Amino acid sequence: MPALLEARSITKRFPGVTALREVSFDLRAGEIHALCGENGAGKSTLIKLLSGLHPHGTYEGELRLDDRVAEFRSITDAQRAGIAVIYQELALVPELSIAENLFLGCEPRRGALIDWDQIWREARTLLARVGLDVAPDTPVSELGVGSQQLVEIAKALSKHARVLILDEPTAALAEREVETLLDMLRELRSRGIACIYVSHKLDEVFAVADRITVLRDGATITTLATAATTKTAVIRAMVGREITELFPRHAAHPGEVLLTVEDLSAAATRGGPAQLRNISFEVRAGEVLGLGGLMGAGRTELLMHLFGAWGVRRGGRVTLGGRPLQAASPVAALAAGLVLVSEDRKRYGLVLGESIGFNLSLSSLTRLRRGALIDEEREAHANQGLFQSLAVKAPSLETAVGTLSGGNQQKVVLGKALMTQPRVVFLDEPTRGIDVGAKVEVYALVNALTAAGKAVVLVSSELPELMGMSDRILMLHDGRIGGAFTKAEATPERLLAAAMGRTQSAA
Amino acid sequence: MKAKLTLRDFSLLLSLLAIGGFFALAAPQFLSARNLSMLAVELAITATLALGMLLVILPGHIDLSVGSGVGLMGGIASVLIINHGWPAGAALAASGVVALVLWLAMGALIVRQRIPAFIITLGGLLIFKGAFWLVIGSHTIPVVAGGQSNLYSLLTTFYLPPAASGVLVAVVFVGIVALNLRARRRRAALGFAVDEAEVAFLKLFLCAQGLLLFVLTVNQFRGIPLPVVILGGVALVIQVITRHTPFGRHLYAIGGNEEAAFVSGVPVPRTVIAAFTLLGGIVAVTGFMQTAYAGASTTTVGDSMELDAIAACVIGGTSLRGGRGTVLGVLFGALIMASLLNGMTLLAVAPELKFIVRGVVLTLAVWMDVKLAKR
Repeated sequence: MPALLEARSITKRFPGVTALREVSFDLRAGEIHALCGENGAGKSTLIKLLSGLHPHGTYEGELRLDDRVAEFRSITDAQRAGIAVIYQELALVPELSIAENLFLGCEPRRGALIDWDQIWREARTLLARVGLDVAPDTPVSELGVGSQQLVEIAKALSKHARVLILDEPTAALAEREVETLLDMLRELRSRGIACIYVSHKLDEVFAVADRITVLRDGATITTLATAATTKTAVIRAMVGREITELFPRHAAHPGEVLLTVEDLSAAATRGGPAQLRNISFEVRAGEVLGLGGLMGAGRTELLMHLFGAWGVRRGGRVTLGGRPLQAASPVAALAAGLVLVSEDRKRYGLVLGESIGFNLSLSSLTRLRRGALIDEEREAHANQGLFQSLAVKAPSLETAVGTLSGGNQQKVVLGKALMTQPRVVFLDEPTRGIDVGAKVEVYALVNALTAAGKAVVLVSSELPELMGMSDRILMLHDGRIGGAFTKAEATPERLLAAAMGRTQSAA
Repeated sequence: MKAKLTLRDFSLLLSLLAIGGFFALAAPQFLSARNLSMLAVELAITATLALGMLLVILPGHIDLSVGSGVGLMGGIASVLIINHGWPAGAALAASGVVALVLWLAMGALIVRQRIPAFIITLGGLLIFKGAFWLVIGSHTIPVVAGGQSNLYSLLTTFYLPPAASGVLVAVVFVGIVALNLRARRRRAALGFAVDEAEVAFLKLFLCAQGLLLFVLTVNQFRGIPLPVVILGGVALVIQVITRHTPFGRHLYAIGGNEEAAFVSGVPVPRTVIAAFTLLGGIVAVTGFMQTAYAGASTTTVGDSMELDAIAACVIGGTSLRGGRGTVLGVLFGALIMASLLNGMTLLAVAPELKFIVRGVVLTLAVWMDVKLAKR
């Protein structure tokens, strides 16, 4: 069967990283083709390329549509060629009606005016095609996420899409909605519309896909016919690499229990659904608890919630050093000896326009007081000490943090956390976006922390890092604990299976 | 290592010299002792309010209600004294407490209910204006019964005698030199950048000249006006608060990156509410001075003073996005605004035109702020 859409040895480089390396991929007319891979494997980059978001000329290799070279210069080009992407974050205007959303930007006209009759008529037909039984004048804000997704698909159909690309379409869907969506896709397939289905959820992939392509570290690993493979084989292909001894984790000597979490549930907002459910774990002095999981599993939310910076407690008990921890705010958490280094240092970590010194001491100012005023001598000495021990590469403490490299910025965030003299340290993706040298320094710091009797909770999306640096590992899946492992038990296959909510037997 | 002087340091001084030079030529009485004394009082009033405004702009908020507040607080005090026979001190204190409560309430609304400061204080502008007119019954209420004087009226009619003025200025200068030297020693000991000795000396020399010129001029009239002393006190307090307390650092951190400040353990709500409450106190003080300067509460006292205060902050290098601004800059900004107004009054510029010029200057200043922020 000839390929409808094909990527031939595509290489895509960003400053400092090669996101895709000689990737090849083909989509046949009327098939559902799943794209699988760990976080950062290159799936998003490939989708952006196929949909014209990374225009022709910014990559090497070629895209072919209907066996002819395709040079998309923009998203519009790709849309005209019949390629439509349904993104994770939906691109609908909530205040407008379904019909208005369907024809947004290409309203049918009669003369200078919008032809409303035609809009209503066609909207009704389109909604019937995606099996959505709702009046076309319903505001989109009144629809559930599942129905909104169907509206997105209807919108794509209205533009005569031949290729639908769905990026994690079921991340926010309830089970019943997932079924509706998968039925919809099968129905479209029978009418010759091809679909690229990006998902972490192997159950869905195996339920709907004809073929599966696995990406890892920016390269195509394999393309398999779903009927001829197993979930275990796919997971192995996704993980597939050696865990090298890049991680100088020292032997742990766990002491007393510092942090206990019992049956914790929490929601984003007062009325919202619980996003963290029945989570229990404990962390001891001197040990590193690794926290893994796929994107959206709730790792960051868990840390931010315990730290008092996210969500509303629904139930459960948290104690720190034997005392109940009612962290209603970061102020209270810090006072109790808990500190968080956020994954998003530009947003939650640093005041970029201010100096290194300003940022280092920001969390510790109340302790650096003499009377009502800041004891500037003590502050300067404390700053100087961290500046040197962390080896921040900058001319002086007065250099603006915004001018530093990622690794040095991260050191400043870590230094700020250290200055609070915490007992429990939460590190959320502490090595994201920093170079290898700085990574090793971060690992050394983790060792130093545990050696000094602190408890560390380390969130990481990179399995090698998680396995290399943790003494125990907890995998989250969909806001719950998907599995707990000792260092000896942890294998990439087992961890990934737990992250995907699959039981041990598969591994 | 040496500290660099920025373009901004000069641009303010140069604009000030240009404005002063222009008015000196166009209206020779601009430089008279009497007028400069008046200008000092006007500057003190504008600058005091602007320093309060700095406290809420630093964390990225704004207050449009201060002008109406100036009228209302002055009005409450006037009415308590004239209509109810309160002693001046008690009246001022009572009015001051009202201001603190009102601004605490506005701060709490902004932070707890997450309503933008722009909206809350726009509401405040209208409400306080209406309340002001209600309080004074839309009449003219003097600050003191005819021909007498009280604490209220003395706010702008009392002058420090020339001898005392000289001593005060000398003490202030010695204090500045001592603090400068101490800060310099400390910074050098920590390996921070310090000005070259010549530059440091030049700055102090200029400062000495300015102070000397100021005291010699005002002494030709009646000495240092009390509002200038009040401004000095307010400026010192705000300088210490913004530069040397955790609260001040927190203001900058919130304005620079509120989410990072929150996660770093900055008590964001409490800090912002405290900033607004402090501003309330300053609004009251400004209200008393402005009303005393006018001699009575009339319906127009405080009109558009919020704009002069914001303009002074922005001209002085304060970023309306928050996180950037200094006391010294705001003082310069206020001096520029006050000089402009005073000079235009001397030249008998029509009120229509005065408004236009103030608008143009404000726009230019914001435009400059955007330009310089992009660098």
